[in-house]
Amino acid sequence: MKKILSVFFIPLFALMFSTNVKAESLTLGWAAWDPANALVELSKEFTAETGIEMNFEFVDWTSYADRMLNELNNKGKTFDLLVGDSQWIGGGAVNGHYVKLNDFFDREGISMNDFSDATVYAYSTWPKGSENYYALPLMGDALAWAYRKDWFDRPELQSEFQSKHGYALGVPKTWDELYDMCSFFQGREIDGVVRYGAALNTERGSEGITMGVTAAMYAWGMEYEDPSNPYNSDGFFNAPNVVEAVDFYKKMYEDCSPPGHSNAYMGENLDAYSSGQVAFQMNWYAFWPGVAKGDKDGRVTGFFANPCQEICAATLGGQGISVVNYSDKKELAQQYIKWFARPDVQQKWWDLGGYSCHKDVLGSPDFVESAVYAQGFLDSMGIVKDFWQEPSFVELLIPMQENMHDYIVNGKGTAKGALDNIIEEWEEVFESEGKL
Amino acid sequence: MKKLVTKSKGLSDKAIGWLFIAPTIILLLLINVYPLIYAIRMSFTNFYANKLTQVVKNVGLKNYYKILGKEAIWEKMQITAHFMFWTLSLQIIIGLSLALLLNKKFKGNELLTTTIVLPMMLSPAVVGVFWGYLYNPQVGLFTYIVNFFYDFGSFDMLGSGTLAPWAIVIVDTWMWTPFTMLICLAGLRSIPGYLYEAAEVDRASKWQQFVYITLPSVLPFLLLALLFRGIENFKMFDMVMELTGGGPGSMTELTSMNLKREAFEKWKTGYSSAYAVILFVTIFGFGNVYVKVMNKIKDR
Repeated sequence: MKKILSVFFIPLFALMFSTNVKAESLTLGWAAWDPANALVELSKEFTAETGIEMNFEFVDWTSYADRMLNELNNKGKTFDLLVGDSQWIGGGAVNGHYVKLNDFFDREGISMNDFSDATVYAYSTWPKGSENYYALPLMGDALAWAYRKDWFDRPELQSEFQSKHGYALGVPKTWDELYDMCSFFQGREIDGVVRYGAALNTERGSEGITMGVTAAMYAWGMEYEDPSNPYNSDGFFNAPNVVEAVDFYKKMYEDCSPPGHSNAYMGENLDAYSSGQVAFQMNWYAFWPGVAKGDKDGRVTGFFANPCQEICAATLGGQGISVVNYSDKKELAQQYIKWFARPDVQQKWWDLGGYSCHKDVLGSPDFVESAVYAQGFLDSMGIVKDFWQEPSFVELLIPMQENMHDYIVNGKGTAKGALDNIIEEWEEVFESEGKL
Repeated sequence: MKKLVTKSKGLSDKAIGWLFIAPTIILLLLINVYPLIYAIRMSFTNFYANKLTQVVKNVGLKNYYKILGKEAIWEKMQITAHFMFWTLSLQIIIGLSLALLLNKKFKGNELLTTTIVLPMMLSPAVVGVFWGYLYNPQVGLFTYIVNFFYDFGSFDMLGSGTLAPWAIVIVDTWMWTPFTMLICLAGLRSIPGYLYEAAEVDRASKWQQFVYITLPSVLPFLLLALLFRGIENFKMFDMVMELTGGGPGSMTELTSMNLKREAFEKWKTGYSSAYAVILFVTIFGFGNVYVKVMNKIKDR
């Protein structure tokens, strides 16, 4: 009997004991993409150093905002650390979802001056530009372009392009040049296969088309609001140069996209590019390590920052890491941030494929040579612009998505009409918040 | 024994009846009636579920005025009406035709019935995803088949504002025609054979038999199928969400999808409660009128 009892009870007690001494753990939430896998690798060192286990929940980009914002609105305790999109910072701060990190930074000697100014402004501060920090810049990112360098290098294509347009086929400096090159490849047969111009962002469900069309709008000098009269967009967001930019993006979509590229974002653009359908793809820097991985000698793919037009500007991506206010492990979560802010960890983060925002990494002498897209990243981070970061950014994003898709993809109405509709809906939101 | 009899006398039949239905009634009150009343109450406020610190104000009928006066909402209603009209019409016509075909006895009848019924056994979300592939303008089977009969070149069913509303109609028809077919088949099999024998004795043509015997006998079944499908398609969400996400633009954004955006993306809880109440009253009103008409037809 004793033997039988011991057979049952010893493992049971062992199990109970093991759960009692289970290591402390943290749960981190982010989007499911390449950099998240790099962060898992990096975090193994944190666990090795501190004994704190790291759990991760990564959500597909199309559901990322829904999942995470619902979690925050419900005051959920699933996450201790959240890598939230740049536009969430306003809502995170105002609605009390994120812990204000100033005291913690002061206590631990973490200086925001050690991080790139543009990223601190974009990912950490609310109100914008203030010294109230709700996140540590984790992943610098901007929208950029990859192109088929091997096609560009073909002499017969170079001479044909030169004779047609009067300048050399190479990295486009302006959107006009980009259009010339995209349309040059559209429907062209290369190696017996029909190719197309560019894989552009056209997705409607989350933020895709907004992140795409704003790349053009920023380059045409778009302002969201009157700088001297905040939240007033009329005359700025629908100014003639912005209308021109939207029309230009529509022209790019119509003349340069592969068939069926009407609801495409990161994954679809990567697929179109890697399958050899298109000469260009627009996408986030986050994906370039993966794209460059299979092209060790850099003969197939080249990268460049968003082309200029009236000004030089690029759409901001990237995220900061925040401590969730509803977590029971805020102290532990801060330990992770403290560890992550260390320059040596930041260097490893870059080496693994994450985009560090630390000045020591970005300013190191061999940074530019460390990756083919490193210079482009540096250039882009100096000219980034972001969508509204207001607490109500989702309410501001939805009409933008709907109206831009309706005009650019569906061809309904005019660019001016679409921009006017968006402003009307934005004004309604700002009025309901008492900002107008 | 005596004790048992006395005990059983203690609880009347009515009480036992109530005892049996009480759990269901409590459950219904909790998960249907209470949320409905709560939503109606919310519909008169400016409540935002993501702004819990904001003071909730009573706004009277403002949300209702706003919704009913908003052009975009009427556009969504039109899109839903277009979707419902065409899916229901096609499903009734094709479903009845298939039922008439399968009501005949021929070799392979059962296998064919099972095959036809397969689409409705699939998950709507899965159907949305794989029809997305079928509609792909470069490699989609649908595009290939259409071009096989007439060369339209490359066309984007989901990216064109003209074609996308038809794309969702085609998929819903493909998926749910078997349902109307099954109901019609049940109706056809309930028609007594002697009616047709008598009609043949009276030298009625096949067409006359169909118009005067088959159709009136199947009509109550058809109307029932129409009611079920009508309610389902008014609430349609998952398949269309997966297939088009409401796009291009908002060409396929049905009212239920629009409601979800207002409620769980923009978090306009008060406003979307009013929206939900309007949709509920619409479907409830239509449903009631429809059931009354259906009963009248049945009584004839």
